[in-house]
This record gives sequence, C-alpha cells and structure tokens, in this order.
Amino acid sequence: MLQCIFLLSDSGEVMLEKQLTGHRVDRSICAWYWDHAISQGDQLQPVIASPTHYLFQIVREGITFLACSQVEMPPLMGIEFLCRVADVLADYLGGLNEDQIKDNFVIVYELLDEMIDNGFPLTTEPNILREMIAAPNIVSKMLSVVTGNSSNVNETLPAATALCVPWRTSDPKYANNEVYVDLVEEMDAIINRDGTLVKCEIYGEVQVNSHLSGLPDLTLSFANPSILDDVRFHPCVRYRPWESHQILSFVPPDGQFRLMSYRVKKLKSIPLYLKPQLTSDAGTCRLSLLVGMRNDPGKTIDSIDVQFQLPPCISNADLSSNCGTVNILSNKTCSWIIGRIPKDKAPSLSGTLVLESGLQRLHVFPTFQLRFRIMGIALSGLQIDKLDLKNLPHRPYKGFRALTRAGHYEVRA
Amino acid sequence: MAPPAQSQRSPSPSQPSGKGEVSDLKSQLRQLAGSRAPGVDDSKRDLFKKVISYMTVGIDVSSVFGEMVMCSATSDIVLKKMCYLYVGNYAKVNPDLALLTINFLQRDCKDEDPMIRGLALRSLCSLRVANLVEYLVGPLGSSLKDSNSYVRMVAVIGVLKLYHISAATCIDADFPAMLKHLLLNDPDTQVIANCLATLQEIWTLEASISEEASREREALISKPIIYYFLNRMKEFSEWAQSLVLELVAKYVPSDSNEIFDIMNLLEDRLQHANGAVVLATIKLFLQLTLSMTDVHQQVYERIKAPLLTLVSSGSPEQSFAVLSHLHLLVMRAPILFSSDYKHFYCQYNEPFYVKKLKLEMLTAVANESNTYEIVTELCEYAANVDIPMARESIRAVGKIALQQYDVNAIVDRLLQFLEMEKDYVTAETLVLVKDLLRKYPQWSQDCIAVVGNISSNNVQEPKAKAALIWMLGEYSQDMHDAPYILESLIENWEDEHSSEVRLHLLTAVMKCFFKRPPETQKALGDALAAGLADFHQDVHDRALLYYRLLQYNVTVAERVVNPPKQAVSVFADTQSSEIKDRIFDEFNSLSVVYQKPSYMFTDKEHRGPFEFSDELGNLSIGVDAADTVVPAQQVDANDKDLLLSTSEKEDGRALSSNGHMPAASLAIDDLLGLGLSVTAAPAPAPSPPSLSLNPKAVLDPGTFQQKWRQLPISLTQEFSVSPQGIAALISPQALLRHMQGDSVHCIASGGQSPNFKFFFFAQKAEESSNFLVECIINTSTAKAHVKIKADDQSMSQTFSTLFQSALSKFGVQ
Repeated sequence: MLQCIFLLSDSGEVMLEKQLTGHRVDRSICAWYWDHAISQGDQLQPVIASPTHYLFQIVREGITFLACSQVEMPPLMGIEFLCRVADVLADYLGGLNEDQIKDNFVIVYELLDEMIDNGFPLTTEPNILREMIAAPNIVSKMLSVVTGNSSNVNETLPAATALCVPWRTSDPKYANNEVYVDLVEEMDAIINRDGTLVKCEIYGEVQVNSHLSGLPDLTLSFANPSILDDVRFHPCVRYRPWESHQILSFVPPDGQFRLMSYRVKKLKSIPLYLKPQLTSDAGTCRLSLLVGMRNDPGKTIDSIDVQFQLPPCISNADLSSNCGTVNILSNKTCSWIIGRIPKDKAPSLSGTLVLESGLQRLHVFPTFQLRFRIMGIALSGLQIDKLDLKNLPHRPYKGFRALTRAGHYEVRA
Repeated sequence: MAPPAQSQRSPSPSQPSGKGEVSDLKSQLRQLAGSRAPGVDDSKRDLFKKVISYMTVGIDVSSVFGEMVMCSATSDIVLKKMCYLYVGNYAKVNPDLALLTINFLQRDCKDEDPMIRGLALRSLCSLRVANLVEYLVGPLGSSLKDSNSYVRMVAVIGVLKLYHISAATCIDADFPAMLKHLLLNDPDTQVIANCLATLQEIWTLEASISEEASREREALISKPIIYYFLNRMKEFSEWAQSLVLELVAKYVPSDSNEIFDIMNLLEDRLQHANGAVVLATIKLFLQLTLSMTDVHQQVYERIKAPLLTLVSSGSPEQSFAVLSHLHLLVMRAPILFSSDYKHFYCQYNEPFYVKKLKLEMLTAVANESNTYEIVTELCEYAANVDIPMARESIRAVGKIALQQYDVNAIVDRLLQFLEMEKDYVTAETLVLVKDLLRKYPQWSQDCIAVVGNISSNNVQEPKAKAALIWMLGEYSQDMHDAPYILESLIENWEDEHSSEVRLHLLTAVMKCFFKRPPETQKALGDALAAGLADFHQDVHDRALLYYRLLQYNVTVAERVVNPPKQAVSVFADTQSSEIKDRIFDEFNSLSVVYQKPSYMFTDKEHRGPFEFSDELGNLSIGVDAADTVVPAQQVDANDKDLLLSTSEKEDGRALSSNGHMPAASLAIDDLLGLGLSVTAAPAPAPSPPSLSLNPKAVLDPGTFQQKWRQLPISLTQEFSVSPQGIAALISPQALLRHMQGDSVHCIASGGQSPNFKFFFFAQKAEESSNFLVECIINTSTAKAHVKIKADDQSMSQTFSTLFQSALSKFGVQ
C-alpha cells in the first residue's frame, strides 16, 4: 500500500508531503526522483523502482504527484488513485498550479486525509468530499465574511455515506431542474502517405451535468447502440438494463460526471484530408501540404491546425501558406494554424527545406498531426434516442450536445 | 507552565534560514495561547498556517511543539486539523511532549461532533509513540462501537496502527475479535472493507506464532465469507471492491459451477470506470479458469475489449500500466490477439516506453495472415524522425523474420533499409541480416550482393561493424573484394576501439584465408601480428591460439575456425517460460510493469523497513538473499549464450555447480539417459535414494501458502538433531544454506530460541512435483518436528528419508 504522497513543483521543490503509514519516507527520495526524471527526460515511466521504494508518478499541469510504496501492490491502484487526487484537487481549487496549491495547502491536507488512510484509498467521490470539506470558492469566502464563521469544514457529516447511492449528495434542491447530456468524441486515425486509412477509431464519452432535486431516476437510450464496441460505466449505471436492452438506467451524481465511455472501431470515413508532398533534389527539399474536406460532416469544422517535427538534418526552412499562420519553433516543431477552411480556396502550405551540407536527399520524413473540432455532431454516428426522468416534481430542462475533436489524427509523409 | 528554555530547541543546521522566523512564531503563539479575546482564532489560524507551511518546505519547527499544544484548545475544526497534522508529524521525535497532546485528543474523542471524534482518533492513533499505547485502547474500544460509521471506519484502521506500534496490546485488548464481528455485521461497507484490510494484515503477521490467527486467516477465504462479500460487492466503494476482488482471487471454488457463478456475478465489474477494479476482476477470472483450458481461452476473448478500452481511455500513465498487463497476455497467447494487431500501432507522440511495448506486441502477434501489414507498418516507423524508434522497429522486423516461415518479402524490406543510407538504419539492419543468414543460409546470395555495396567506412557502431566483418569472413568466397576490405580494416587496427570488432576481425580474416589463401596471406600476417601485440587479453589470446593452430596444422585450424555450420533453427528466448509463468501468477501487481517476478526486485534490502519480524520474532515470508542470486544468474546466463538451446544450458549450469549436489547431478544424468553409475561421486555417507530433487527449484510464497492450505499432511515425524547441529543453529541462515546444498529450499523462517520454525520446499527434478515441509526445531530438546506435504503422496516417505539425512548432516561436516 502507499506510504507517502509528495507534490512537487515544476522545479522539483517539495510543495507538500503526506505521510500515510508509520514508516516515514524520507524526503531525499524526491531528490533521487528529480535527478532520475531529468536524466530520463520524456522517457520517464509512470512506475519506477528507486533503490528504496517503488514510485508512482503522474504529472498534471507541471505538478508532479509522487507516491511511494515498499510492497507489491496493484500498479493501477496507485496510478488511478493519483489521477483521482489530481482531478479532485483541480476541481476543488479551480485548476492546478503551484500557487493554488501553496495557497490552499491546508485544504489539500484535509482532502488527502479523507481520501486515504494508512495507505489505503477510502473515498475519491467528489460529491462526498465536498460535503466533508467545503471548496475555497468565492461564495464560501463571502459567507465567512458575512457570518463570521470561517471554518471551511462542513458541520455535518455526509449523509450520502449512509445511503445506498454513495455518489449522490443527500438531498439537493434546485429551483431550476436541468440536465445536460454531451457526447464528446475523439477521433484517432493514421493515414499513410498514399492516402490510405491505416486505422481509424473513436473514443467517446457521455458526459452528464445534472442539477436535479431529490433522488431522480434517469433512463437514457441510444438510437443505434449496436455500433459501440466496448463500454465502461460510472458506478451509478445499472448493469442489467444495459445487458438486456442497451439502456442506461441510473441515479445520477450531482453536477458534472462521466456517465459512460465507449469505443467505436473500424470507421471508414474521415472528415479532413491532408496531402503532403516532399521532393528532394540536390540538397534542398520542396514541401507542399494541402488540407481539405474529405467527407463533409454537415457541420463546420473549426480550430484546424497542423503540427509536425522537421527532421533534424534540415538546417533551414522557409514555409508560407495561403491562409492561416505558420510558425517554426526553435526545436524544429512547425505549426500551421488554419482555423476554418475558407469557402473560396483550399488551404495550402509550401516552401523549401535546406538540408545539411553533404546530404542529397531526405531520408527521414515527418509525421503530420492534424487537429480539428466539429461542434454539433458525433462522428461515430452514435445518436441519443431519448432521456426519461422519473421521481421529479417538475418537468426539468433537458439539453443535448455533441462534439467531435481530433485525438491522435496523424498523416505520414 | 514555564516557558521552555531557548537551549531546548533542536538545532537545524540544514535550514538556518528558518531559525529567526521560528523563534518569532514561538513567541507569538505563546501570547495567543491563553488569550480568549474574540477573533483570536483567526490570528491563531494564520500562525498555524505559517507553522505548517514551514513544516511542508522542510524547516524543522518541532521547537514550537509545546506552544502548538497549548493553542490547540479551540472549537475551530480547521485549527484542530492543522494541529493534528503538526502533532502527527513531530510526536515521534518528541515523545515527552506528545504526552501533552493526549489529554486534548482524548477529550476530542468524546466530542459530540462525529467528524471531530473521528479526526481526533485518527491523530491519536497516528502519534505512534510506544509508551502512549495505554491511552489508545480505551478510545479505540469505544469508537469501534460508535453509532457513527465515520468514527468506526477511522477506528478500524486505528486498530491496525495500534497493532504496528504494539502488537501485544492490540491482541490483548481482543480487537481482532471485535473487528471480525464488525466485518460480518456492520451496515456500512467502508467499515467492512477497512476491517478486511486490517484483519488480513494482522492475521497474516500473527499466523506464524498463533495457530488461531492462521485459522482465522484461512476462514477469511472460506465459502460463507467470500459469498457474503460477493453478494454485497456493488455496495463497496471502488477501492474496496478491488480489495475484495484480491481476496476472492485467493479462494478456491469447489467445482466448475461455482466458478461460473462467480464469473457471472462479477462480469459487469469488467465495465467499471475504475481501471484498478477492472484489472482485479481480470486477474480473478484468469486465476479461476487456469485449469479449464477452453474457458480460459474464452476469458481471454472476453477481457480483450475492456483492456483495449482501458488503454485508449485513461491518461498516458494509466495506459502504460494497462498496456504492461496487455503485453503479458499477448505474450502468453499471441494467437488470440492476432486480429487486433492494429491496436498496437504506434502513434507518433506516444512516449517511447509505450511504443516499445507496442512494438513487442506487434512482433508477437505477427502470423501468416497479418505479417505483411505489420511489416509495412514497421517500415513506416523505420523511416520516421524518431531515431530510437526507428532502431527498435528495424529490430522488430528482424524478429518477425526470424519467427516466420515465409520471409521473402521481409528480406526485401530489410535490404531496402540498407539502401536508405542512414547510418543507424544500416547499422541495425546489418546486425539483423547477420542473424537472418544464420537461420536462412539460402538467402546469402541476395543479401551478399547488397551488403557488398556497403562501404565499411559508413558503419561505425561496433555491433554493426562486427556483423559486417562476420559476413565478410563467412561469405568471402562470394564477395569479390572481401580480402581487400578486411585488409584495409586491419590497417586501421590501432583506431579500432572495440575489442569485439577486433575479435571478429581476427576470425574473419582466418576464414577468408582458408578460402582465398593467396589474396589474404598478407592481411592474415598483419592481423596476427597486431593481435599478438594487442593489450586486450581476449584479443591477444585468440590471436595466439590462431597462430599456434596454423603453426600446428592448417587443415586442423580450418576445422576449428570454420567448421561446417548448421543453420540455427531457434534463437533462445531471453526470458524463460518459467519466469513468464511467474509473472503471470502475479497479474495485477508491480511485477508485470517491471516484467520481472517480484522475488527478483523485492529483495531483503528493500523490504527492510516493512519487516515487522524484529519486533515480533515472527515468520518473515520471502525469499532470502541466497535464493535471489540463483535466478539472477539464470537470467544472466540466458542473456549471454543466446544460441545455446535451453537443455544445453541446463546441463552446463547443473554441471558447473554440482560440487555439493550428488542428488542433483544424478537427476541430470538420469534425464539424459546416460546410465552413469553413481560410484564416480565421492559417496557421501548415506547413498542418495531413488528420489532426485531439482537443485534450483523455485516456488513463490503465495503458491506455497496456497499449496500448504490445500494439501493434506502426508507425513509427520520427529527426528533428533545432532548436538553439533544445535550448536550451529545459532543463526538460522546456516541451516538454510546447508539445506540448499541438498536441494531443499527455505521459503520462510522465524522463531526465537528455543523454538525455531522453518518452511522448506523441494521439487522433483524430472517434473514439477513439490514437497512442502514445516520443520520446528526445539534446541533444548534437540528434536525436529517435521510435517511433510507432497503433491505426490507416494514419494513422501522417500523424501522424508532424504530430508532426514540432509538434516542429520547439518553441523557435522
């Protein structure tokens, strides 16, 4: 089990140390870790064996969450827990950064105290934690000024712990009952230089934001659940209805949560194409890129940009485009920000790359990473059929949205 | 109370900067301590915050301990929490001052707010000062019966903390029994989960000294309790679920119906959002079905999708941990994943360690139907900007080539790599082409034509250079200018820094000489002269050997240096299947991530602080340093002589180490059917019976425990131990080493004079049939009480004789 958790700033300074068991972990482990991290660079693994401890580490927004253990344990337990800690802290502090943590370290200690005891995770459910420890938001600050009671610990214990729906706040009340369901999809694709689609897959999430009074019971169904390859559920989802009718039946937690995540594989159509052309001749290389619509999704594609790494053997590059902006950074990363595709012309980028002296032709080729966003559509084709709500006094407002963005969407040259 | 003198402050030379501020804080706190003015809590809170922040950055603020305690009389819960945090951190170094805190903590334990009761109890248990335990028992006892589940939850973990401070106090207060009651009756599942975690730990540690504790531990995995947990599974929090699943994995169902019931009940856990739960479920399924081959395969099919989803859904860190497990499964059963190869395609911006795992999986799943696509994909990586990745993918192509029957296309691809004119690509490819030629000599014509065009000046890496030189020597009759290339290389002998290359150069020039003597004679002379003058011992020796061979007889020399070769059919695997099985048994643990069974990395030195044995004199489950050395050598050997077939290696090792193992060498002889008589050995006192043991048997503690539970006692005996033996038993280590010489290995030992307890195990040489022994030696009566359990009951008598004779020799020799 975990023995100690450290939070390190992006300069390696120990911001916080939480000992969990009687066997104290010396701080020097952080120095060892930091040296190791520097020597490994981006090859650093999440699970490391140091001379004295096994270390789990994750990095979020420049902050390293480091946990130490000396015994065998399920590695995912360590990593998953750290991820939850990072999520909860980000949620509580409204973002993660060094100053936020240093300003609120008492709250961080309080949270860790409730999340893990003697090295074993207790509860990471944000709803329950929120009832035990109030977030340092403006409202609570205002309240403390007005009432003079500045304790950020809620006076009562969470009743939810006693309920059979531990993820739900005991009895929330809202004047406006509303629930929003978002389909958020990420498209991963690999396209070869000749335009063939090597692999195309969608990872999607059903995100729900619920502000409903009482103990509502929701049923969400899809028009075409058969396209889903594999699904994972929030603990609130009942398994039987899904198994028999592919219906999501659940009592939602309060606020924002991920109801379900899914995977759809073997997709055939991609929204955008990118055609790279590289021709080498006598020490220089002509590069031209064309970006355009492949299959019109019916909605606007925006936030398009292309990123690629110039091969190390290129000494000089001169690139220009007919729309958008092109930047070449000092580490030879090149980014071309297009935004939306204009109606009158196809975006293109062209230019010359000068090779290092002695090289005639280019032998290594960059991979182009394309990013985009499409509002209003889920490219997997998944459609929500209907959402039924029971146990509610008033008719709530229901909102549905969909969004697809590029995940790992890459084109090889 | 008189203010503590300045000199009391512990010096903190490492943080001199904090000194002034700390004494400032001290006086400010003292002013506030007695004050009851309104708003005093706010100023206290600021000061406390400062103290804690100093503590956090590593400044020693233990000197304000007294003041902190004095200020802690407050109703403000945040102040209390900060104070608890502070006290928990410094109580251990200030045991006397810690006594001051007991009073207010005990009072808080009776507060009407359950939150404060819980927090106070948690801090009280976290003080970890041995002489304060008497104050712990009362609050813990009443808190275990508290009406609020939060307090009970804290109290249960508190019991475990108490146990680690003072096991005797914990047992005497009968806390385990109270926890057991809670475990079975509490309405709150978190309390139950904490009880489970605590009881498991306590009973495991107690099991060696108390029969009752070991019975209780057994009872945890009995049918009623397991079913009780399974039925409430969904009420547990996700973390508790993974704990319960771990427990269920230890349960041995009575028949296949029960197995199916459990799997049906838990199938939906595979779709849980928490990866730890999913992996724990997968482990359970795999373990349950180990003996049912068909179902086991179906389980693989079933868990494939959840694993692949986990890989793509989580953060990169989670993906890596899941991928490591997926990697293990793919390596075990590549066929089942052969249609999913596209999932193992690497994305450009994934970290290298992820790509490497994926490449290995791609290599493993390649078969006739998908090889073409996989190799095409790998060639894409070879041309990529990412150089380490390019190298790895070329190696992967080579590995696929070596494991496939139809390699036409692959050889063409490899030869194309050579034409890419990138030095690192050329280097990697050359090494591969060499291996390929050793396996498929029929490709030599094609390869030689291309390799011949490579200028040796473009190859700098020693491994690649050595490969090129090997090919020049081996195929010198087909390569027109081989002698001249070798000659120019020999001219630059002085500039060649790698001894490996120089060794290869010597051999290659010899081979070339046998095929084309007139052209090579001069080069050979130069090479031998340079080799004899070489400062590297191996190079010098090889040159001398060749020189003398040539002097003696040229045909003999040819037979030695360039004998007709057989194509290599199988390249030995770097990791033995035994080790892979071990890792598989430890699914869902760190072993999988490190790709080593845990006994290879959790050695004694690391576990040091976690062994409670010094306090308790109990059983230290684990493998001794002596044991760890053996497997480590095995791996080394594996790495070095890749070309030896496994059986050859076994021989070599057994023969080289059989000095003290008559039984072992006998086993190997029998194995080979040589029918050698035993008389050759300098006959130890009792002639070894017909049972031969495996000298390097391995068994992990988990399996041992499971077997020990399952098997009936086949033999109970009492031997007497020689007085010399008793004398030598001053350190149990001596006996362990002695028994190891007789191929009986110790898995755990413990106890204190006069009673020592050992658990031994041994394995039959020919098959994996185990003997398990519990041996209690009483030094005052000089008796050894032995219980033997065996997979093969019929052999237990023979084994017992062997064991007795081994034991009787202890201390005598």
